[in-house]
Amino acid sequence: MTALLDISDLHVTFNTRHGRVTALDSVSLHVNAGETLGVVGESGCGKSITALSVMGLIPAPPGKIAGGSIKLNGEELTTASPARLRALRGAEAAMIFQEPMTSLNPVFTVGEQIAEAIMLHQKASHDQAFKQAIALLDRVGIPSPDTRARDYPHQLSGGMRQRVMIAMAVSCRPKLLIADEPTTALDVTVQAQIFDLLNEIQRDFGAAIILITHDMGAIAEMADRVAVMYAGRVIESARADDVLDHPQHPYAHGLIDCIPNVGKGDTSLKEIPGVVPPLHLLGDGCAFAARCAHADARCTREKPVLTDHGHHPVACHAIEEARL
Amino acid sequence: MTAPLLEVRDLTVRFALPRPRPFGPRPYLEAVRSVSFTLAKGRALGIVGESGSGKTTTAMSAIRLAPAASGQVLMNGTDLLALDEDAMRRQRKDIGLIFQDPYSSLNPRARVADIVREPLDLMNIGTPATRMDRVRTLFTRVGLREDQLNLFPHQFSGGQRQRISIARALTTNPQLLVCDEPVSALDVAIQAQILNLLGHLKTELGLSYLFISHDLGVVRHVCDDVAVMYLGKIVESAPVERLFTQPQHPYTQALLSAAPSLKRRKSQGYARAMQITGDPPSPINPPQGCAFAGRCPKAQSRCRSERPEMKVAGDHKIACHFPA
Amino acid sequence: MTNQPMTETYIAQSPSREAWRMFRRNLPAVFGLGLLIAIIVITLYGAFLYQGDPFDIVWAPHEPPGVTPEFPLGTDYLGRDIVAGLLMGGGPTLAVGAVAALITMVIGISLGALSGYYGGWVDNLLMRITEFFQVLPALLFAMVLVTLFSPSLWTIAIAIGVVSWPQTARLTRAEFLKIKELEYVTAARAIGARNRRIIWKVILPNAAPPLIVSATLTIGVAILFEAGLSFLGLGDPNVMSWGLMIGANRDYILDAWWPVTFPGLAIFLTVFAVSLVGDGLNDAFNPKLRER
Repeated sequence: MTALLDISDLHVTFNTRHGRVTALDSVSLHVNAGETLGVVGESGCGKSITALSVMGLIPAPPGKIAGGSIKLNGEELTTASPARLRALRGAEAAMIFQEPMTSLNPVFTVGEQIAEAIMLHQKASHDQAFKQAIALLDRVGIPSPDTRARDYPHQLSGGMRQRVMIAMAVSCRPKLLIADEPTTALDVTVQAQIFDLLNEIQRDFGAAIILITHDMGAIAEMADRVAVMYAGRVIESARADDVLDHPQHPYAHGLIDCIPNVGKGDTSLKEIPGVVPPLHLLGDGCAFAARCAHADARCTREKPVLTDHGHHPVACHAIEEARL
Repeated sequence: MTAPLLEVRDLTVRFALPRPRPFGPRPYLEAVRSVSFTLAKGRALGIVGESGSGKTTTAMSAIRLAPAASGQVLMNGTDLLALDEDAMRRQRKDIGLIFQDPYSSLNPRARVADIVREPLDLMNIGTPATRMDRVRTLFTRVGLREDQLNLFPHQFSGGQRQRISIARALTTNPQLLVCDEPVSALDVAIQAQILNLLGHLKTELGLSYLFISHDLGVVRHVCDDVAVMYLGKIVESAPVERLFTQPQHPYTQALLSAAPSLKRRKSQGYARAMQITGDPPSPINPPQGCAFAGRCPKAQSRCRSERPEMKVAGDHKIACHFPA
Repeated sequence: MTNQPMTETYIAQSPSREAWRMFRRNLPAVFGLGLLIAIIVITLYGAFLYQGDPFDIVWAPHEPPGVTPEFPLGTDYLGRDIVAGLLMGGGPTLAVGAVAALITMVIGISLGALSGYYGGWVDNLLMRITEFFQVLPALLFAMVLVTLFSPSLWTIAIAIGVVSWPQTARLTRAEFLKIKELEYVTAARAIGARNRRIIWKVILPNAAPPLIVSATLTIGVAILFEAGLSFLGLGDPNVMSWGLMIGANRDYILDAWWPVTFPGLAIFLTVFAVSLVGDGLNDAFNPKLRER
């Protein structure tokens, strides 16, 4: 079975005042049709850059895809023309952003904006498109959709706006939906509704989802498979249950252990000391070594490669040498 | 139970809205509606709720950083709301405050040593030399280094800035620390570091916390007692274990089942214990009966017409007609 | 826990120093600053270089430039030396600009700060006053002021200041409205700082960047304003200034171009330099451009 999206050995660099830095370092991921891949990590680990590269939305300059390939349905995206990328965006792959207020245009009604998205990719009259827009608003759980379609974004709550974004994203039935921290700006009860909606949409439309998040709880509820990223590299990749129940990489371990859980009230949380190093200070070794309790000389010298050491693929010398 | 440090009685906060027509009566928004709670010495009281629930406004008006319309706030028996400006200013040395956003809570044009020392300058405590000693002690205590004293806020990471904020709040040896979403802007791994620091400080210095958060996991980790707010009112309050294991109010139950949990897995086809729809109603025009009735799966006609009174059962208080 | 080089710099980077670092990399701005310094130095030392009174009639009238070596830029309609006028007139011109800008800033920042910080009726009252001054035609109002209080350099500077502060007041108010909502201002209140301290020590330094830019540009505007008043014959007749030179010679502009052109050029270069510096400061204070 070939994957719907296949990213292999992707390198993305950015020119900054510290010189050229590597934002994505040999990232390989795949997403099968109809499944959800969770991409998890702290801010600055490269998860949003990965999403933007797939959409062809890396700001260039200063950004640049320096190597590797992104194949959507077998079609190479890194070399595709801007016109072809525009045609694919929305129709084949769509994106839901973190902040629904700034991703919607404040001067048009939400119905217009969805209809616009439909007319961009399908032959439909304005009336047909607007009717479709209303149907979509209904589908994403907006009450009285025909009046809401005539509302402007500021008249809707944050949760409603995110539903509108989802309606717009699925308007052309894309095969791939990228959700970049879709609930970070929302309240928990609304977040739960959005997660439930995304899972439903996936069942109904058969779309594959890439969920970008920093929250292992969201991974548990949403993802079939997980890629854990750190400092621009994938450091662990497996089925969601495997990562959650048997995390291999010390960083993945830390991410799970440091969450204050609703279900238990520990006295002390496990901490990951220190912070993510800035990209321009990455050395030759493992980027996590400075924060890792199991690091040795080899870790500071040599970058570990994502390999299966018995359980599932992980990039860690300590696991390879069975020191862990 | 020890003597209360802070006792809030019937606190109400109103915001003036623009007049609908010139010289017409001015409408008011009741952000906090007759809220009462008690914070005992050495304990941490969590106030949880979603955006718009009035949790931050409650805390801010309790310590007179936002004007209260009516009510009493007794700190060690003195009513803060009745103090004159100068007396209140002197009282501030007993109250520390930590903010949500580590990027906007520190003056960008001041060196961090000056930021941490300023409370002592303003309260005229000690000599310049002893003040600097205190700053150095605090700096090391919150996990920063002395060689960072002369730097400016933008030279620190989010977690480090939150440590500076904590140091500033502790400078004058306060009895009460008001924490307004202190970790919600931080990455998960950094959250754990700050939460552990807050935990250690509490036992070490015998501090009391008024802890505002939307994150139930964080509250369970830090707090001894919890009050749940919805649309300007406390709907349930109890000791933390009791609230998390035996929630009585449907809204508390909904919050708990909405919080992402590592235990709810997509692979096992999760189901939420309780699912609620929609968004909270607008505080400009609050519903006549129970504010939660519109979203509550258990609501009956009585809930829509009659506001539930707070019922007290030991240390568990619930405002619901049909608690379970 | 550290076995990799740790990542921080221990050198304090003050916001002002960062801005200066940005400014230095901006070629036009550095050029403008150099030009401005040169103009200031030349006009300051002009008095020492050129012994004599610029009002003295030293030669035949309307001597064209480049004919007589003692008077390289020629003479005006009365036979006064133009180089002397330029050198001696620069100081007063710049002084009027600077004093006017200072008055503008003092009034504008004080009223804008109070208005933005306190809000409510204070804001209402101060903004109505500001609007009143804003709708007055500035040049006419300044002319009235100067005529009423006999034209001296001081009255001119004050008149310019009085008509140009409303913009600064509005800018200051807008900055204060924005900054007073930030958490570090609440933090200052939470540790017991008084309003006065919050306004002047906490908010104002953070509002300074756009105000510094605006002050710089105000100097340029004030210089032009002074030239305009002098051109209309409302300059101080007892003190030589570039504006006065243009004003005195404007009637003969068709017979002799040089007595008005050279002071005009001097004004142009000064205002140009000031604008370059102002733009440079604007960019230097903009954090968004800093990462480049």
